[in-house]
Amino acid sequence: MRPGFSPRGDRGGRGGGRGGFRGGFGDRGGRGGRGGGFRSPDGGGFRGRGGGRGTPRGRGGRGGRGGGRGGLGGGKRVLIEPHRHEGVFICRGKEDALVTKNMVMGESVYGEKRMSVEEGEAKIEYRAWNPFRSKLAAAILGGIDKIHIKPGAKVMYLGAASGTTVSHVSDIVGPEGLVYAVEFSHRSGRDLLNVAKKRTNIIPIIEDARHPHKYRMLVGMVDVIFADVAQPDQTRIVALNAHNFLKNGGHFVISIKANCIDSTAAPEAVFASEVKKMSAENMKPQEQLTLEPYERDHAVVVGIYRPPPKQKK
Amino acid sequence: MSSFRKALKSQQRNHHERSQPGFRKTVGLLEKKKDYKLRAVDYHKKQNTLSALRKKALEKNPDEFYFKMISSKLEDGVHVMKKTEEEVTEEQKNVMRTQDMRYVEMKRVAEAKKIERLKGELHLLDAENKQKNKHTFFVDSNKKVETFNLASHLGTHPKLVDRVYNRPTLQTLETKSIKGSVKPNIINKLAKQRKHQYKILSQRIDREKKMFVISQKIQTRKDLQDKNKKVKVKKETPDRAAIYKFESKRKR
Repeated sequence: MRPGFSPRGDRGGRGGGRGGFRGGFGDRGGRGGRGGGFRSPDGGGFRGRGGGRGTPRGRGGRGGRGGGRGGLGGGKRVLIEPHRHEGVFICRGKEDALVTKNMVMGESVYGEKRMSVEEGEAKIEYRAWNPFRSKLAAAILGGIDKIHIKPGAKVMYLGAASGTTVSHVSDIVGPEGLVYAVEFSHRSGRDLLNVAKKRTNIIPIIEDARHPHKYRMLVGMVDVIFADVAQPDQTRIVALNAHNFLKNGGHFVISIKANCIDSTAAPEAVFASEVKKMSAENMKPQEQLTLEPYERDHAVVVGIYRPPPKQKK
Repeated sequence: MSSFRKALKSQQRNHHERSQPGFRKTVGLLEKKKDYKLRAVDYHKKQNTLSALRKKALEKNPDEFYFKMISSKLEDGVHVMKKTEEEVTEEQKNVMRTQDMRYVEMKRVAEAKKIERLKGELHLLDAENKQKNKHTFFVDSNKKVETFNLASHLGTHPKLVDRVYNRPTLQTLETKSIKGSVKPNIINKLAKQRKHQYKILSQRIDREKKMFVISQKIQTRKDLQDKNKKVKVKKETPDRAAIYKFESKRKR
């Protein structure tokens, strides 16, 4: 295990969500008239750990901390900057974070931090979107041109896992949009279901993405397919789903992990060969972005499916 | 002529080494040069050793002292170390090492969790000298490659092109506005706090790295205790434990 800004991957499970730690100053033992002595940094040692890895299941083991409002109080201490991509924001307060507008107020999905801003009467809550855990977030911060996921869009998300990124996609598309979240593993599918319970615009599908005919009755035409399946035949999987569900001129966003396709070849070569495969499937790539410094040897390819014919002048 | 000589040789009587004459049989075998040589070399070796030892004894320093003189004793003519009573047994040492390691490991995991949490809210937006990524655009023709302009392709203001984490489109710039605290003094204050948070994060990352090295070193020290054969492959350095290669041994 190598620590540091290294991309994720090798680290074991991280304890269940311990959402909303207040502020960041807790790390000075024995502060605030506690009669001296050492206190564990996060107040009371390691309580509440080990309560199941993955996403939090309700608020069970959390020693009566009530709602736990996210971050600094009052919404006076953050600055929310609209992002190039609609529905995504940059939060610059004490934190320095990519955020989305929280659709379910007062709830964290995987223990991420929440910040709220008061606008007149209304209070808007934002959730931090961790680029070290989400390839889509890493691509956004890497400066990708278009993600095609925007308010009102219908998105098919292949490889939804526990639904951490899916929850942010659902924040972006908003109540008018839809997210079809496909995941094969039952274990992470369970967490995905829990996310979908709170968010009505997510339709969880626990099925193998290689067999789109198994869920064709659930899914209508979609505008975008996002794929993070990390399989050697990833492009084929996306193409299969695109042929079935993606509208003409719809877009695809594929995250490629070079190691998963071919661990011996150079990453650039792997990306190039994948892009070639896409062209063969009537998927026209438009841009490609590597995900440093958040991930190593990863790339995101964005493109258009069955592009409209070129206009001759 | 040589064939003739050879023919002659077949007629010759074989040469036999002289043996002990019959009347001297009581004295044993007759000694040959070879035997004499062996005996002589052995004799001189012994003589030389004796004279060397004699010389050493003569030149001996009566004040000479080594700690081995008191910590060892003779047993059947061999020097053997005297046994001292152990303060800590090998087993106790082992347990102590294990516990040290567990403690360091526990602290390291705690640190790693805090790093994870901090990373969740500090996304290195405009961190300097972060690793550069590579952005490729696919366009239709060579002509378009020549006339490619990043700012116009992205539909953003040319000044925002380097601000990779957010390059708002011109439309966004016109229609949307920044929310939250926009007073300059608060912004400055926030920037300061943010910087501090990043400092804490980098300190924690360093600390985690150090603790990782420490636990590795303790582990190596512990592994060295067993009797398996091992060869040192790489030396220990401040940021790495020594690397040993162990003889593979089947465990059942």
